[in-house]
Amino acid sequence: MSFERLCRWPAALVMAFLFAAPLGVIAAYSFLTRGAYGGVEHPWTLDNYARLLDPLYGSILLRSFWIAGVATALCLICGFPLAMFIARAGRRKNLYLALVILPFWTSFLIRIYAWMFLLRDTGLVNTILLATGWVREPLPLLYNDGAVILGLVYGYLPFMVLPLYAALERQDNLLLEAAADLGARPLDVFRRVTLPLVAPGIRAGTILVFIPCLGAYLTPDLLGGGRTVMVGNLIQNQFTTARDWPFGSAASLVLMAIGVGLLWSATRKEGADIL
Amino acid sequence: MSAAGAAGCSAGRRPRLNVYNWSNYVAPDTIANFEREFGVWVRYSVYESNEEMLAKIMTGNSGWDVVFPSNYLIQPMRQNRLLAPLNHSRLSNLDHLEGRFRKPAWDPQLDWCVPYAWGAAGILFRPEATPAPTAWSDLWNPSFRGRETMMDDPAEVLGACLKKLGKSINATDPSELAAARREAIAQKPLLRAYLNAEVRDQVVAGDVLVAQAWATIAAQASTASPELAFAFPEEGFSLYADNVVILRESSRSELAHAFINYLLRPDVAAAVVAATRTATANGSARALLPDALRDDPVLYPAAATLARGEWFEPLPPAAQRLRDRIWTEIKSA
Amino acid sequence: MKRALALYAVAAYAFLHLPLLVLAAFSFNRSRFMRWEGFSLEWYQAAFSNPQLMEGASNSLLIAAIATILSTAIGVLGAYGLWRRRSRFLSASLYLSLLTPEIVTGVSLLVFFQWIFRVLDIRLGMHTVILAHVAFSIAYVVVVILARLQTMDATLLEAALDLGASPSEAFRRVILPVLGPAVAAASLLAFTVSFDDYVITSMVAGVDSETLPMAIYAIARRGSSPVLNAISTLIVAGLGFLTLASERLRRR
Repeated sequence: MSFERLCRWPAALVMAFLFAAPLGVIAAYSFLTRGAYGGVEHPWTLDNYARLLDPLYGSILLRSFWIAGVATALCLICGFPLAMFIARAGRRKNLYLALVILPFWTSFLIRIYAWMFLLRDTGLVNTILLATGWVREPLPLLYNDGAVILGLVYGYLPFMVLPLYAALERQDNLLLEAAADLGARPLDVFRRVTLPLVAPGIRAGTILVFIPCLGAYLTPDLLGGGRTVMVGNLIQNQFTTARDWPFGSAASLVLMAIGVGLLWSATRKEGADIL
Repeated sequence: MSAAGAAGCSAGRRPRLNVYNWSNYVAPDTIANFEREFGVWVRYSVYESNEEMLAKIMTGNSGWDVVFPSNYLIQPMRQNRLLAPLNHSRLSNLDHLEGRFRKPAWDPQLDWCVPYAWGAAGILFRPEATPAPTAWSDLWNPSFRGRETMMDDPAEVLGACLKKLGKSINATDPSELAAARREAIAQKPLLRAYLNAEVRDQVVAGDVLVAQAWATIAAQASTASPELAFAFPEEGFSLYADNVVILRESSRSELAHAFINYLLRPDVAAAVVAATRTATANGSARALLPDALRDDPVLYPAAATLARGEWFEPLPPAAQRLRDRIWTEIKSA
Repeated sequence: MKRALALYAVAAYAFLHLPLLVLAAFSFNRSRFMRWEGFSLEWYQAAFSNPQLMEGASNSLLIAAIATILSTAIGVLGAYGLWRRRSRFLSASLYLSLLTPEIVTGVSLLVFFQWIFRVLDIRLGMHTVILAHVAFSIAYVVVVILARLQTMDATLLEAALDLGASPSEAFRRVILPVLGPAVAAASLLAFTVSFDDYVITSMVAGVDSETLPMAIYAIARRGSSPVLNAISTLIVAGLGFLTLASERLRRR
């Protein structure tokens, strides 16, 4: 078999045994019944999927899409200039890259606690604002959707920056210079040369951010004060407190199906394959 | 690093015991002292929820010997054949347990478990909170808007609402649960957030005035801010107890019993209380505590107060499903 | 434009590192609550004398290192293979792997491993954690490497093949060198997702394979403690130092 075909085998084997097979188990679970104390029991049923038709879950989904969408857009806007900066940094590229990742070597939970400390009524931001007289009462920076979005952007920025960097890094400066020499303004150069070249990076970054944001549960829980339910919270809850694995499995499969549908329609429009 | 390394090296020679417990439930030297005295090595890990522990041990080959389930899980775990029966002849210190834990409702003969620590949910509040809350209904007071929190726990939130309505925390009747749901949704606009242990820092810092919290959390907060107060609500409140059990899959029955017996020693239990501020089920330990702790009304409330408490009980699957759906509705409201 | 970018970068890095600085500052705080009460190193002492944290840290580093090497190698090859020849199964399963909520991945792997363990006489342990980490990080590696490959001009590769290079030689000598920075980015990402993972790891970890996030969560969810700030600062400082050092060495 040719080298190029063989290349895919290790990955394919890993995915078959450590992803597809376990996923098959979850799919089976989604058609079973809840065991009294977690786990599953026999009667096969379509109940779990029927339950999902309830408008309660539809509203949860819409809300999650909204929050995840805003967070992804912000990640793109904030991450792009940073990725450009790193890609053009010459010798220090890897250093700057590492600096992006560095904060993420602390524990995820602790980073969220640090943000809670910063955003609280008696937290650092409000203390400074009050001390400098900008506001007279503490601003409610925590326990709302804004805080959740901030937390999501903070938590997923590297996942946008790294693929963008990978695509931008290749940027041929000669190409840019040529365009400039031919009289194109910087904005045009950006729009017509840079952007198309970096499109795969943008697509990759968007997938790596939007989908996990949908499934996030710790950030909305802690920074949102548990006041709202996102899809991630719903699913997490089913596998833990509610001990309803079949329903959780069904909800997950539906979420994944929607995600696949979205990605498929997005790539069809551009005629290219992300993967 | 060297301590862990040395322990790792000698683990091969000393007998070992695998203990899986709630976090912050032993004193810093409890395990080390046990290891030294009995010449063993203990793998001690912690979890933060019953479900997490259950998911690991459900399959019957998790590797753990001793775990600490809450009281309402004892009967279901028995039914799923996860527990090993206890041999009282190896538990000489059993008599040190407080009277009411000698014949608990969930295991009257103590055949399967030994109560370890108990807790209650009540109201933690700052002195600035006026009027000072004494009942769950005080948490529906609009003057606390934006400065109060409830726990992020469906059993506790529904429990508080049910108590406010004069019902049992273990209610399964759909109309009672629907009424509780209405109460919770009515309260939601007043809440800052649903928080568990995180609320401790916020109450101490002054962001939150009034919080539904476990007594243990309140006791811990009081060590930093003695001006904080805790109320056991008038309408009644929920009680839970965490118990030590030996898993059926364990092959180290003797050592496990020795460990449980060790935990039952008054001095060991007293050290745990002093370090963690948990309420121990060990009655003899109380005598060994410093005055401040011994008479702490949060850790050792009067009998009349305790009488208003109600233990959590296992619920039938239909009720669990209904409660979970109600919780989702409350959270999305 | 370069100046504007540099200024922006400073602001962006400040945003990224602000919580870290807060953490570090409070790791030197005498009080256990988040109000400043004086300078103290007690939390660092507590971190070093906490066997769970120390063991967790070393387990995490070991797992992340092994998982990163494996997933980067497998992922780079897989991405290259996908770039040259489509594979529905591989693309689909990589897509889905990114779409799967962590709790689902964790539970599914736990149940799957338990089934296997009925046949083979083994238990959950470091090996199951490493396998799980490789499984979920491959997709990240592939996405990053593919993003780079898709901006690459295939004609260079074609030319090499036309000139008689075997496919594997062409890969090694034409593609791989150019992929260098992308591989660095991908492995950094893989290391991070592995090191930081809690949900999946907690489900498939065995009795002796507790990782740092598990140890930290256990302490944090029941009421945080500055000992966590201390260990986090230590880890970041340590890993940061290693990264700097390896950069210096590389450039020599």
